[in-house]
Amino acid sequence: MISEPSLRDTFGNLLVEAGRENENIIVLDADLSASTRTLKFAKTFPNRFFNMGIAEQNMLGTALGFAVSGKIAVVSGFSIFTTGRAWEFIRFACHDNLNVKMITTHGGIVGEDGSTHNALEDLSLMASLPNLTVLVPSDNIELKKMLDYVFITKGPFYVRLPRDSFPNLHHNLYNFKIGKPDVLKEGNDIGLIGTGYGSTLAFKSALNIEKKLGISIKVINFPTIKPIDENFLLDEIKDLRGVVVLEEHNIYCGFGSIIARLISREQAKIIKFIGINNAFPQSGKRDIVLNAYSLNSEKLITEIKKIII
Amino acid sequence: MGLSRTDDQKIQVEILEIKKDILKMIYKAQSGHPGGSLSCVSIIYLLYNNVMRFNFKNPKWEERDIFILSKGHAAPALYAVISKFGLIKREDLFTLRKFGSKLQGHPVKNPELGIEISTGSLGMGLSVGVGCALSAKLDNSDKTIYVLLGDGELNEGVIWEAAMSASHYKLDNLIAIVDRNGLQIDGSTEEIMALEPLAEKWRAFGWEVFEIDGTNLNELLQVFKRSKKIIGKPKVIISYLIKGSDVSFMQHTREFHGRAPNKEEYEIAVKELDKMKKKIIQEI
Repeated sequence: MISEPSLRDTFGNLLVEAGRENENIIVLDADLSASTRTLKFAKTFPNRFFNMGIAEQNMLGTALGFAVSGKIAVVSGFSIFTTGRAWEFIRFACHDNLNVKMITTHGGIVGEDGSTHNALEDLSLMASLPNLTVLVPSDNIELKKMLDYVFITKGPFYVRLPRDSFPNLHHNLYNFKIGKPDVLKEGNDIGLIGTGYGSTLAFKSALNIEKKLGISIKVINFPTIKPIDENFLLDEIKDLRGVVVLEEHNIYCGFGSIIARLISREQAKIIKFIGINNAFPQSGKRDIVLNAYSLNSEKLITEIKKIII
Repeated sequence: MGLSRTDDQKIQVEILEIKKDILKMIYKAQSGHPGGSLSCVSIIYLLYNNVMRFNFKNPKWEERDIFILSKGHAAPALYAVISKFGLIKREDLFTLRKFGSKLQGHPVKNPELGIEISTGSLGMGLSVGVGCALSAKLDNSDKTIYVLLGDGELNEGVIWEAAMSASHYKLDNLIAIVDRNGLQIDGSTEEIMALEPLAEKWRAFGWEVFEIDGTNLNELLQVFKRSKKIIGKPKVIISYLIKGSDVSFMQHTREFHGRAPNKEEYEIAVKELDKMKKKIIQEI
């Protein structure tokens, strides 16, 4: 699992492949090409790569110009700066339904760089925008399938990648379906609904929790934050006693809020939330920070107990 | 070669007609921005009539020059100009800002009307122009990108990010025009957030700068021609204009930045414009 390449490395390689297949793809970065791994594209296709310096607003504005000129504009950078600093330009990409693909890295907890660099509000910022498709991969296999879809589908996209690697949860034959839940493990009592690292945590904890609590757990991965096919979601959880949503994001106005809104319209179900609870997590090794801010199995057990007792 | 005196006068008459349309649109909507529409309408008219490569029968023509109205609140000016050239039926102009109209309060992307991108949130258009200009270079296209900016809009930091990147990438196919009417909503540009020395700022950012009397059509045309010949860097035309121009009580005042005239004001304005028109026609 440790040998798995980081998702940004995979992105860097896939971007070169996509660039080779489609000459219409251009890439913009904000002086972070070494970190986001767009550097590989820059070296392979120097005339189609534009370093816009440390200026995210202008980078997005320039991407809008490329998109109205018929190009597929891939924008990269750190998740927090791209979505935060340039939010209103992204809003215009959505307003005009332009072919701008924001694929950012360092989503979620970045670790040592600390609270200023964590992206724990980006999904809220992006999910509130009409026309935008918001995606969070849970492993390299899912990322590959996802990007295949992103590059051939018209319209604006936000794809949030972590800085590091995630263990593979999927088989190579995995069929990524936009908006649809991806059941990683069947179960009858409690549903764990995750996205990104939330799916990793759910999947790796599920068997132990089943043994410990004597219950059956279903694990559902959601690579799509928006748009979610509501009926499929409701169908997957209809017979469960309750669900826990897991996300590497602020639980306020995040993925969990979206899921809760969709479920509560149709079903009376207890929903618990695992994520960052309205905080700016400090520096430290990523696993230590995640643990300190309750993104861990113990917290998950506590929440499940509240449902079953 | 400039405009002949007669051609100049004919254009002046056209622009006065358009100004009447603008006022009628805003009067009928009872909302909108007369001041900044009247100031820059001559620029927009000349661009479409004399400067840009644009086919009104096919606004989606691949080889067209690109116009971006970054100061999107001047939408009535844009709509009224392109209506003169047949892209919008004249009677449709007076649906401005009404529910269901394609003429939204600020321009919304509409390829049928040659509106490349939605604008109105100030400061965004120059960056979009940079993207269009880079894309044209990548395609080896000789199209020119024109971006019309308000002067108050230059308060936005991203304008200067865009300015930096345009000269970094030597975008000589990008021409910005600043509507230097000197007024923004809360006061004069120099009171609110001083822009001067404005030409020096643009020069320091690596741009070729032209400063002109934007009310002089001949001078405007000459400068568009000269600016196209400069290679290796982006160009900006700082065009001194008059907010609310040609309507006595709207000129040089910020009162009509974002307020519609009432019935009496509207009627006086139309009379004034008609009088000016008549005078020019008599001279022709």
